[in-house]
This record gives sequence, structure tokens and C-alpha cells, in this order.
Amino acid sequence: MMDLLAPDGITREEVRDSLLRHFGVRDDGERETDRTFYDTFDGLVRAAGLAVVYEDGRLTLVDQDSGFEQASLDAPKPSRPLLAAELEPGPLRDALAPIIDVRALLPLVHVRGREHALRLLDDQQKTVVRVTLEQPAAVSSSERLSELRPRLHLSVVRGYDKELRHACHELEHELHYTAANRALLDEAVSAIGGTPGGISSKIAVALDREQRADSAAALILHRLLNVIEANVAGTIADIDTEFLHDFRVSIRRSRSVQRQLRNVFPPSELERFRAEFRWLQQVTGDARDLDVYVLEFDQYRVMVPEEMRADLAPLLGVLSRRRLAARAEMASALRSERATTLYPQWAALLERLVALPEDDRPAAARPIAEVAGERIRKVYKRMVTMGRAIDDASPPESLHELRKLGKELRYLLELFGAPLYPSDVVKPMIRALKGLQDVLGRHQDREIQVAMLRSLRDEVSGLADRAGALMAMGALVQRLAEDQLEARGEFAERFATFASHEQRAQVRHTFGTP
Amino acid sequence: MTQVLATYNIKGGVGKTSAAVNLAYLAARDGASALLWDLDPQGASTYLFRIRPKVRGGGRKLVRLKSDPSTLIKGTDHPRLDLLPADFSYRHMDLALDHFNHPTRRLARVLEPLRAEYEYIFLDCPPSISLVSESVFGAADALLVPIIPATLSSRTFEQLVGLVDGGPQVLAFFSMVDQRKKLHREVMEQLRAESSNVLETAIPSSVDVERMGAHRDVVAAFAPRSRVALAYAALWSDVRQRLADK
Repeated sequence: MMDLLAPDGITREEVRDSLLRHFGVRDDGERETDRTFYDTFDGLVRAAGLAVVYEDGRLTLVDQDSGFEQASLDAPKPSRPLLAAELEPGPLRDALAPIIDVRALLPLVHVRGREHALRLLDDQQKTVVRVTLEQPAAVSSSERLSELRPRLHLSVVRGYDKELRHACHELEHELHYTAANRALLDEAVSAIGGTPGGISSKIAVALDREQRADSAAALILHRLLNVIEANVAGTIADIDTEFLHDFRVSIRRSRSVQRQLRNVFPPSELERFRAEFRWLQQVTGDARDLDVYVLEFDQYRVMVPEEMRADLAPLLGVLSRRRLAARAEMASALRSERATTLYPQWAALLERLVALPEDDRPAAARPIAEVAGERIRKVYKRMVTMGRAIDDASPPESLHELRKLGKELRYLLELFGAPLYPSDVVKPMIRALKGLQDVLGRHQDREIQVAMLRSLRDEVSGLADRAGALMAMGALVQRLAEDQLEARGEFAERFATFASHEQRAQVRHTFGTP
Repeated sequence: MTQVLATYNIKGGVGKTSAAVNLAYLAARDGASALLWDLDPQGASTYLFRIRPKVRGGGRKLVRLKSDPSTLIKGTDHPRLDLLPADFSYRHMDLALDHFNHPTRRLARVLEPLRAEYEYIFLDCPPSISLVSESVFGAADALLVPIIPATLSSRTFEQLVGLVDGGPQVLAFFSMVDQRKKLHREVMEQLRAESSNVLETAIPSSVDVERMGAHRDVVAAFAPRSRVALAYAALWSDVRQRLADK
């Protein structure tokens, strides 16, 4: 596939005449186009090299490169965010579900225009290249038109690449077309003020080993704040569950940096922000837990004997109701002045951080590699000590505490370790840590799920169809408790990998003080 | 999972190519990705799709797995329908296959890397019984066998069923049928009674099929409402049903 941008003032006849000197040309006529493109907030469809297009009553998944249709569905135009699970079962849903997972498709941009289709033929009158002359305009949500530069879209017919190159060459040399460096879709998204590729929640900030620790911390926290703010609206509107998830991950990561690099901040100001971030995490906690219970409900369902599965339906009803209530409560907290004024105040502190007096910020001017390395080593060491103290008699809380510390280490490694230290050390270390955290997480999640189910017993007892539901919940509690025990059984082995002699030596060697 | 379907008959001129190109077209029209390999050195399918009957390295390199078949494929003028062209060197494919210890498994190995890409692979086979046809039996999930309802054809069909016993599913259908001829009606009735391998739909003899050569396109595309095009659509639905039932 090739996109060429038209030089000013060129006519359709000039294009055809030029092509006619080298190919047979068949005119397939002109038509009006009216397309709406969709993608997830973070651009998962585009990242997979695809596009979701709605036109003429059909929702189609198209390969960006070849323009080939991968799957389609006759459907009304989506009027609200669309989850894969809400699509009619069929090829389109099957193709989209693994790409967008739990994320919703949102309208990205609306493009209107005229399209003239030509086919280039060889001496057998066989189509060898398809050419479309496009005169597109992006339409904003307020119906304002932004004209885009006319372009020629050439798509290759398999096995005729040489002919495509030939046609491009002629158009570039005879008619002064230029290769478009951006896809039409990206250009249209930019024209209405959007971000091609969507808003990512990934944190990839380049750091310099010698950089001042306070400036490095400010850079990363700034980026985290961007992610937090970008996800607020989608969280409140409940577009999909990932908004809240990404919001909370960024809050937690920010809190971790606040704690681990506390010595680069003025203590009294930091204290206030730490309290506010803790509050944000608390007011969003119930909603996230309930999101997960509802999302994972199918997994719970298969944990109980088959004949009991239908009896769990009332439980899903109770969870969904609770979820809505928790979401409403969370939304009002996120809309409050306390929340909305927090972000600019935090941004302001980050902005002036480097210029603040250093007498109460002992680590501020030290090189970030040194400070971060020290923290990684210390947290790792504490985890090893804590983990060694855990035996079969230890209470569940001791595993929970170890997991919390594991999250701190993971964020340190991802945010600072990855950009500052060799990846052949950091990556395997994150992997070993992840192996341990998975087991600790499962252990803790099961604990909480059992407590949650017990707390719902009274509410379910009040329902008409309680008898079967209570039985099924009992069976589920039992299975969850068994799985918690299994997770605990796997702990020793995972911890041994994480705290192995080689791993400890490598941590000392890599992150130790020189 | 990819289904490999071969149109085959020992006899020539019974409507193999016409069935292969129309069924492959219909598969692609219904949304599946389809490849047609024109194994007949005469290259009639290749001609119908306006593609040059030329394969770099020829048939020998292909069966020796020295050519990457995916680089030899040409897109037809129809979406999702591709062609692996015929080549005059295919007339020596028997000799090329004879070099191998297991010649009858050879074509299946050539097709192996293409399975990920296509839901249907159609093989348009040359008439005759040879190592090529035995290799086709080794690669195909089903043989689509056009039969002209004349006296000798039922005997030929019996021979074929015996020949591929334990191999691919055999799905026969009547081809070039003239309902006005008593003989055609009688043979059809008799063969349907004798064998469950004969499909319900019959393809009528038609000038529209003869016009394919002039149009250089499949009749299901240039005359989709014609009697013969509708018959191919019904045949395709029969075939899919039988494949699903198996």
C-alpha cells in the first residue's frame, strides 16, 4: 500500500492520462464516502495495524497496510462506547476480542469526502494496482469540517508489487506527487485535535544516570500525573474498567515514588500530598474491587460444580448493584473540589521542585542512579529478610506485607531500574519478582474474596432464590480457600528463585554503592 | 482449519475447471480466504483469471520445496481469492514426484505453509491417473468429482471410489446435465440410488459456462443470476454441508 499526496492544482484527467501511458485504466466511478473510525482510548486497534470503520450500516475491521477487510458485521452505528462482549457473536467479535480485550471502542474521527476509484490493468486486462483518488475532510464533533490534502491511495494486488512501484514512480516523477508520511486516519485525528495512536498509560521516561534525583523524580511523577488526569473522565463516565485501573495504578506508582524518594521533597508539603493521594486510592478501592469481581465472575462460576453454576446468578446481581453504588460514590469524590484542585497543586510542586532550598531535601542533588540503586537494594534486602521469616505457621498478613513491599520494588525497577540499569539484569529480576507476586497476589485475593462472599451472605439471604445461591456461594468459598492454600504451597519455591544466592549477588553488584 | 478441496475426474472435459473457479470464487465471496492452485499444465483456470501461466522455478522446484509458494501467488480481481498459477512445466510433475520416497505426500507438504493463510485451498487437477493425482488424494480433504450422466460414467465413478478408499471424502455431482435427455435423467436417478456420495445439486449444461472464456471471468461473477451460477451457489452450499457433517 502507498499513499501519495497531491501537488496543488492537479486534475483527475492529468492523473488518468499519465497512468494511461503505462497501464490500461478502468474507471470504477466516483462516490461519496462517510466513515467513522473507532479505536480504544489507548489505540489498541491501530497498534495491531488495523482500523475499525463504520460506513453504510456496516462495522468493518480493516488491515491498515493492505486495506483488506478482515471481518465485518451489519450493525447500526454504535451510539455509545462498545465492548467486544456487546458485539453480536461472529467473525468481527472473534477478531476484535483478543485485540481490545476489556477496552471499549470509542469514536475516533469522522471522515467525509469523495472517492474516485481506478484500476490499473496489464496487457491481459488484469487488475494489477487499485488506485483511489481521495478528497477527504475530517469532521469534528461540532460538525466543523477540516479539509485534508487530497491524496492518492494505491493498493497492491498480491504478486504485482513491481507494477505498484512502477505506478508510484511515474506519479512521483511525472506529476510530482509526494509520498505521504502519515496515514489518512492519523492526519484526520490530528486535524480535529486528537492524538494519533491514542493515550497510552505506559510510563517510558528516559533518565540520565547523573541526573539530579529530584529532577528525575519530578519527570516521572509528572508523566504519572498526566496518566492520572487523562483517565479521570473515562473513570467517571464508566466507559470501560481500564480507565479506573490505569488511574489507580498511576496513583499507586506515584505514592511509591513519594515514599521511596521522600528525601528529594520538602517534608511538610510532601506529607500533605501523600495524605491526599492515599485518599484518592481509598475512594476508588471499592469500585475497583467490584469491577474485578464482576469481570472475573465467569472464573468463579467454573470453580463450583456444574450443577450449581446457575445458582450463582443472584450473587452476580448483588455484585452488579453494589458496583453501581460504589461507582456513584467514587464519581462524586472524583468530581469534588478536593480532587480537582489536587492535580494542579501537585503539578505546581513538581515544577518548582528543583529550585526549592535543599537543606531539608538531603537526596535532591544526588545522582538518580545512586539514589534509585540504593532504594532497590534496600527494598530487595528487606523483602529477603521478611520472606525468610515466613513459615507454615505465619499469619496471612505476613504474606500480604511482603506483597506490598514487592509492589514498591516492582515500581522502582520499572520506573528507575529499566531506564538506568542494564536490561539483562533488570528484566530477569522483574520476572522473578513477578513470579513471586503472582503467588502472593493470588493468596491475598482469595483471602479478600472469601471475606467479601461472607459479607454478602446476609444480603443474599434476603432474596427469593436464596437457598441455591447460598449453597453455591458456600461451594465457592471452599474452592477459593483451597486455592489460597495451594498458592501458599507454591510460595516457598517462588521465593527461593527470587532470593537465590545468584540473585542476591547480582543485586549487590548492580545496585551496590560503588 | 484449512480445507483442501480438489476437483478431479479421470476423464477430461467434464467441467472440473469450471467447478473449481466458480466454487473458489463463491467461497471467497462468502468471506473466506481462498486459494486456487491450477495444477493443469494447460492452465485454463489461470487463463480465466487473466494471469500469466508462469511460475518461477517451475513445478520441479515447488515439489522439491525449493520455492516458497507464498511468493508465487497472484491476487485475482476478486477480493480474498488468490491463485497459484499453472506452468507448462507441470506436465513433468509426475517425473519430479517420482524422485521422492513418499511421492503421494508431496503436494500436502507444498501446501503446508499456506494453511495458516487460507480457509480453503482448491486444487484444479489435470485429468488422468498418475502420481500427481495420487499426490492430490494425499493432500485433499475432499475430492469434488464432476460426472456427466452418461452410461460409462457410473463405472468410472465406482473405480475412483475404490481407488481412494480410506483417503479423502468423495463428493460427486452431476455436471453438464441436459434435463431434456432421458438418458441423463435415468443415469442420475440410478447413481443417486446406488451411492450416498452423490450431491443433490446438478450443474446444467450452459452457454454461460462456455462464455467464461470470452469474458475471462467466472460465471458466478459476470452472470450471478444465471441458472448455472445459481446451481454453483447451491452446489457450494451442499459441499459445505457435507464437509461440516463429516
